[in-house]
Amino acid sequence: MTVQSTPAGAVQSDRPGGAGDETGRGGLAGRAGGAGLRRVFRRGHHLWFALPSIALVLVFFAGPFAANCVFAFLNWTGYSGTIRWTGLGNFRLVNELGILRHAIVVTVVYAITSMVVQNVVSLPLATALQQTNRVNSVFRSIFFIPVLISPLAAGYIWAAVLSPQGPFNAFVSALVPGGFHYSWLGNNVSSLITVAAIDAWKWTGLVTLVYIAGLSRIPRVVIEAATIDGANAWRRFWSIKFPLLAPSFTFNVVVTLVGALSAFDVIMSTTGGGPGDATTVLNIAVYGQYGHGYFGTASALSLVVSLLAIGTAVPLMAWLRRREVPV
Amino acid sequence: MTTARIRVRRGTRRRPRLRTGLRYTLLSLFALPWIVVPFWTLLVNSFKSDSESGVLSLGWPKQWSAGANYSTVIHQGTYFAGLENSLLVGVPTILAVLLFGSMAAWAYARSGSRSLRFAYYASSLSILLPPAIIPTVYILTHLGLNGSRAGYMLTIAGTRLGVVIFLATGFIRSLPSDYEEAAQIDGASKWQVYWRMILPLLAPVLFTGGILLVINVWNDFFFALFLLQGQSRATLPLTLFQFASSSLMSVRWNLVFAHVILSSLPLMIVYILLQRRVLSGLTEGGTTG
Repeated sequence: MTVQSTPAGAVQSDRPGGAGDETGRGGLAGRAGGAGLRRVFRRGHHLWFALPSIALVLVFFAGPFAANCVFAFLNWTGYSGTIRWTGLGNFRLVNELGILRHAIVVTVVYAITSMVVQNVVSLPLATALQQTNRVNSVFRSIFFIPVLISPLAAGYIWAAVLSPQGPFNAFVSALVPGGFHYSWLGNNVSSLITVAAIDAWKWTGLVTLVYIAGLSRIPRVVIEAATIDGANAWRRFWSIKFPLLAPSFTFNVVVTLVGALSAFDVIMSTTGGGPGDATTVLNIAVYGQYGHGYFGTASALSLVVSLLAIGTAVPLMAWLRRREVPV
Repeated sequence: MTTARIRVRRGTRRRPRLRTGLRYTLLSLFALPWIVVPFWTLLVNSFKSDSESGVLSLGWPKQWSAGANYSTVIHQGTYFAGLENSLLVGVPTILAVLLFGSMAAWAYARSGSRSLRFAYYASSLSILLPPAIIPTVYILTHLGLNGSRAGYMLTIAGTRLGVVIFLATGFIRSLPSDYEEAAQIDGASKWQVYWRMILPLLAPVLFTGGILLVINVWNDFFFALFLLQGQSRATLPLTLFQFASSSLMSVRWNLVFAHVILSSLPLMIVYILLQRRVLSGLTEGGTTG
């Protein structure tokens, strides 16, 4: 309602200015030559408005993306002036070095862990905070705080909390006899899961808000009808809310999973890829190759990240979309 | 039938207060390890001396050395240089992305042209696809912008426009175009229609997009590490990383934490002032999957 009344008001207040501009535009079109060109200009206006964006996206997103598909197959290092086509040479090289397969496995485990933690934590959190009242607003704003800090900062904070003598182990020590000084980030097994969970912690607040938005779009009558029919809270959630939440669920699962495939920051501030190469995800490996001047292999690994992202997002989206029910 | 309904209704009337109490208790119990402990660890240890913060306890500092810690961060950690760089890079980039993104969104929403539709999809893809960093460095080098602020800003803009374009295009498509046409028949130029009609209507969407942009751009570390060269251009995340990497070997948590607090402070202040609008903007705004 209000949306419709605003433009009308805006137009009316604009009329004097609009009339003034008419002559200006007429002059420009006249100079360009006649009504025919004016029509072209009119139709082409869309292009003019999109042009800055198109240029930026083309040069700094689409261009590099396309170039990466070429660079990945070039023998190109900082130590030699010549750049040669090498076919799958870069991929073979990183595979022989034991980087490729390991980094893919680490990246996939990281992404799945992070996605699962984010959604498993935020879904009940959103259900608990769905109603807008004063207490819930306070909780919502508290749980949102980690979203605002940088992933680097999140890494430093949790590296301290989870350090062998840190508060987390101190708490566990109080429960189990004999003290507990496990190095969460220093062990091959736990470090990967731990960094992924830290990443998840940083974004959970945002995922929760998306679920809250999705929950509040569910028509009240449906929930009330189920309540009257005797469905308890548990049943109402799984039989009504969760199926109707499918669009938010699709969005969150895809975004968190694909986002975590390009993990970098949290790892840099916690383990740096270690211990050994236990947390060396693809992007960390890209940085390593790049830092040593191996631009070809760095591009190859970077292309693998892109392929993983596309290969995950497209089928996942198609599959999750199928179970969405129109409300 | 009727008895069952009465039983249900009585049950739901008595239960809410009990259940609300239980819910708030559970939420508080969850917030304790999830929010309170990490941020308390951060805050209290940033006030402690080197040796005391090494223990990482949650206790109040016995020896107060907040002044020394924070001044070390400000001087050795080049905090204000980082803050200046972050603002210098972030503010114009975000404003430009909102402006160009909303302009393009109007074009994409109202045009039937196939090439523009393709451009729209390509832009939206940048939300999901990870950036190709090596070619970006290559392109910037050839433009003579490698390592510079301008190159960094252009790259951020090119890879972040997608979010604004995606949100705003969807929103404009849901609006009737009659008013725009009426305004144009009345003699308003395209630019006037955009500036006086489309842009004000887009305000809530751009606010939502702006929040996401601020969070992403202010905290960006990946691009900054690859694209910004030299201490003099380092943004806050880069400053934090350089500072922490240089002293982390001796694990001086008090200093790292003081830097984390100072780097997070600007966004925290903005958040405290605008939190209600930020949260409602994100729940009611463009998150329509």
